[in-house]
Amino acid sequence: MQRLDGYAGKILRINLTDSSTEELSTWDYLPDYIGGRGICNKIFWDEVPKGVGAFDPENKLIFMTGPTTATGIPTGGRAVMTGISPCTLPEQYSYGSIGGWIGTVLKYAGYDGFILEGKAPAPVYLLIEDDKVQFLDASPIWGQVVSVTQESIRLAHGADIHSMVIGPAGEHLHRNASITTSNDNTFARAGFGAVFGSKNLKAMAFRGSGKIKAADMEKVFELRKTVGRPERQPNPPVMRESMGHVSNSFPHQWKNGSYACSPGCNSRCQRLLMDSKSPFTGGKVSQTEKCVSVLAFNYTYEHPWGASLFVLDEKNPRTLGQQKSFPHGPDKTDPDWEICSEVYKGDRMDLWGPDFDRGALMMELANEYGIDKWEMIIHYFTWLAMAKKEGLLTDLDFGMEVDVENPAFVRHFIDSMTYRTGIGDIFAEGMARAIRTLGKEKYGDTIYQGRVNQDGVRLDIPVSLEAAWGYSAHWQGRGFQSTPKWLWVANALNTMVNTRDCFNSGHMHVTPDDVRQFLADGPSYSDLLIQRVMENEGASMIKDSVTTCEWQSPDIVWHDMELQMYQAATGDDSMTKEKLDEFAVRSRLLYRAILMRNFGRCRDLEAENVYPFLTYPDPWGEVDTWDEWNDTVDRYYKANHWDPATGWPYRETWERYGLKDVADEMEKLGMLPSPGQAYQRKPDPSVRQEV
Amino acid sequence: MEMEYGNHIIQSPKEYSLCTGCVSCEMICGLMHDGCIGPQRNRIFIQPGKIKEMVHTVLSCQQCSDHPCYEACPKKDKAMCLDPKTGIAYVNEEECIGCGKCQKACRFTPSRINLVKSKDKTRRKAKKCDLCRDKEDGPQCVKWCPAMCLALSDGPIPWEEDKKEE
Repeated sequence: MQRLDGYAGKILRINLTDSSTEELSTWDYLPDYIGGRGICNKIFWDEVPKGVGAFDPENKLIFMTGPTTATGIPTGGRAVMTGISPCTLPEQYSYGSIGGWIGTVLKYAGYDGFILEGKAPAPVYLLIEDDKVQFLDASPIWGQVVSVTQESIRLAHGADIHSMVIGPAGEHLHRNASITTSNDNTFARAGFGAVFGSKNLKAMAFRGSGKIKAADMEKVFELRKTVGRPERQPNPPVMRESMGHVSNSFPHQWKNGSYACSPGCNSRCQRLLMDSKSPFTGGKVSQTEKCVSVLAFNYTYEHPWGASLFVLDEKNPRTLGQQKSFPHGPDKTDPDWEICSEVYKGDRMDLWGPDFDRGALMMELANEYGIDKWEMIIHYFTWLAMAKKEGLLTDLDFGMEVDVENPAFVRHFIDSMTYRTGIGDIFAEGMARAIRTLGKEKYGDTIYQGRVNQDGVRLDIPVSLEAAWGYSAHWQGRGFQSTPKWLWVANALNTMVNTRDCFNSGHMHVTPDDVRQFLADGPSYSDLLIQRVMENEGASMIKDSVTTCEWQSPDIVWHDMELQMYQAATGDDSMTKEKLDEFAVRSRLLYRAILMRNFGRCRDLEAENVYPFLTYPDPWGEVDTWDEWNDTVDRYYKANHWDPATGWPYRETWERYGLKDVADEMEKLGMLPSPGQAYQRKPDPSVRQEV
Repeated sequence: MEMEYGNHIIQSPKEYSLCTGCVSCEMICGLMHDGCIGPQRNRIFIQPGKIKEMVHTVLSCQQCSDHPCYEACPKKDKAMCLDPKTGIAYVNEEECIGCGKCQKACRFTPSRINLVKSKDKTRRKAKKCDLCRDKEDGPQCVKWCPAMCLALSDGPIPWEEDKKEE
C-alpha cells in the first residue's frame, strides 16, 4: 500500500512479559481496514487463537486511532480499544471507544496504535516518548486511586504528559474496571481496566514530538465549518436550578460546564459537573458525567424515552439535546416535529429518591476506583434496591444493612467490591456472574413488584436488569430507557450480534417516514427495519474506524460525512461511499469470524441470549413472542446472507468482501454452511418443560 | 509608564466562555502556518487544568514591547524581525537556524516560543506568534475558536463589549 497522509505509519507492539517492543507497518492493513476498529479486528483475527481468556497473558489489547486523528478534522480525536472482555458473559472479544488526548499524542509519537500483550512480572507503567518505550516500576503508584495515579505521573514526567490509568478496581480484577485518561474519558463498558490489572499494567503515559499532516487542508477547514457544531458561540458555565432528566428532576443548584473530549473537536458536550464536593478530600472537583449519571442522583422514574435521539430528519438532523444548545434551537416548523420530539417520561420504579451528595459520591467513587458507571448505577444499585424490596437479601451478609439511599452503604458496597472484601468478592466478578453464583432463579429472575407505567398499570420486570451478554439494559425497551417496540426490536438485533452494550457509537438513526413504515409493517416483520439496523451497524463500524463521534454526526441526512473526512485526511480519492460501506461489512464479517472461531457464536446462542429480556412488557405492555423474535432473526440473517439455521455466513458472503482465507478457515472448522440447509426452530426456552 | 506588552491574544474569563480544552487554537495555528499539526508547530498553548479541575489556561505570546526574543536572536533583523507596522517580533523561517536563543530569552515560563527540534539542523525553526500578520482577517486562532474564548487585547473584546451593553 502506498503511503497516505493522515496516518503515522506504524503500530507499536508492546510485550509486557519480556519488556520488548516491535514496530508493525500500518500500511499492511490499508486500505482494506481503514483504522480504528477495522484494523483492531484484523490484528485480533490474525493473532489471537481460540481458547484464550480475558486474563490470560495471551489476550491482547489493541488500541487504534483513525486517519482523522490529529489532523484537525472535528471529532477525529477519538480512538478505539479491543480485546477479550472480562465482563462480557461469557468472555468474548469486545471493544470500546474513547476521547481524550491519548490517540492524538500517540500519533505525534509516531504510532497509529499499539498492541499490548503478555504479562509483566511485577507492576509496571509504560512511558512512551516518541520511539522510546520505558517499562517503569509501578510499585509506588500501585494501589492508588485514579486521580492520584494521574497526578503522580504528571509530577514525575512533566505537565505535558498524557496518561491513561487504572484504579484499585482494575488492580483487583473487577470485571467492570475502567481505564481513565487525564481528562476523565474512559474505556469502561468492556472492562479493559481489569485486563490492564491482569497484565500488571497500572498506567501508560505518552509524549510525542512529531507532526501529522492532512492531505487536503482546505477540506479540513471546510469540515470544521460543517461537522459538529459549526456555530461559534461562547461557552459560559451555567448555574442549574435542578438536577435530573424530565421525570427525575429535583431542585438543586449546581454548575454545569461544557467541554470537548478530544483534540480538534469543534463541539462540546454538556457533561461537565463543576465544583461538586469530593467525598475523598472535601474539596471541589469537576467531573464529566455520562448520560446515565443523572440516574445516580434520583431513580424514582426510569430514564425517559426521547424520540429525538433516534428519529431525525432534514430540519432537525441532530438530537434534540444537542439542538437545544444551538443558538437557533430546534426547528419546530418541521412537519414531523411531533414525531421527532415525542417523549415518554418513564415508568415509576421507586428505587432511590433525590439526593445530590449521594449521587456525586457514587460517581466520584466510580471515577476514582475506576469502575464502569453504567453497570454500577443501572445494574448493581438497581439490583440492590429491587432485591431488598422483594426481601431477597435477608440471607446475604453485606457487612451492614443494605440501604441504597444511605451514603455510608453506597461507599461500603463500592469499597467491598473494589477491594474484594466479604461479599464484595462475588460482585467484583460482574453483576451477571454474581447473580449466577448466588442463584439466578431467585436473585436474578424474581419479579420486582414496584414498576408502574404512566397509566398506573403495574408491569413485570426482573430484579436484575440484565439484557444480554451480561450487560444491563440500554435502550432495550423496559426497565431502563423504555422505548417503543420498533426501536427495542432493532436494538435487540444489534445487541444479538454484538458482545457488549453497543451504544458507544450504535444509536440507530431513522427518519419519521421510516418509523411510519416500521409501524405499518409491524416491527417484527419489517424488512425496512432490518435494513436500517444493518446500515446502522455499518455506520457504527465506520465511525469507530475513521474515527469520528456519533453525537456530532448527522448521518441520517449527511451520508458521506465520514467519506469526506477520510478523503480530507488521507488524500485517497479512490475511496468511494460504496467502498467505505464495503469496508464496514468486511470488518463486521471479521468481527463475526472472530466470534465464531474463538467463541462458538451461532444462531441458538444469539437468539436465546437476547430473548429472555424481550419477554417482559415495555411500558405499553408489548413483548416479543418466541416465534415473533425468531421470525425477525430469520429475516436479519437472510438479509446479511448468513445461514438462518446457524447464523454463519456462506462462502459466497465471505468471498464477496475479500475474505476467502476466512471462508477456508471456517470450512476447516466445519462452520461453512450450505445454502438451503434445513432449520428446525427450537422450542421456546423460556417455557418450562413438565417433568 | 511605558506599556510592557503589545497587542496580543487574550483568553476570556471563564464566566464569559469556558475553554473547552479542544486545543483547536493549537491545531489551527499549526495548520495555518505549517500545514500540519504537532506539539512543536503551535505558537499558542493550552495548559490543561489540574486533574479534577478541568479549567484550562491559554498561554500566548504577550508581544513584549521590549521584545527580548528579538534582542537574543543571533541573526537579528534576518531571522527574528520586527514588523514595521505593528512593532511585533516575528520569525522569518527562511533565515531562522533554530538555535533556541529566542525561546530561552522569553520572560515567561513556560516559554511562549516553540521550537521544532530535529536531527536535521536545517529543519530546526522557532515558532513565535506573529498574530497571523499575513492574514487579512487577523489571528486565525481567534477566528476559529469554537467557544469564542480568544480575542486581541487591543481589539474589540467580546466580554468587555457585553459589560458595556449591560
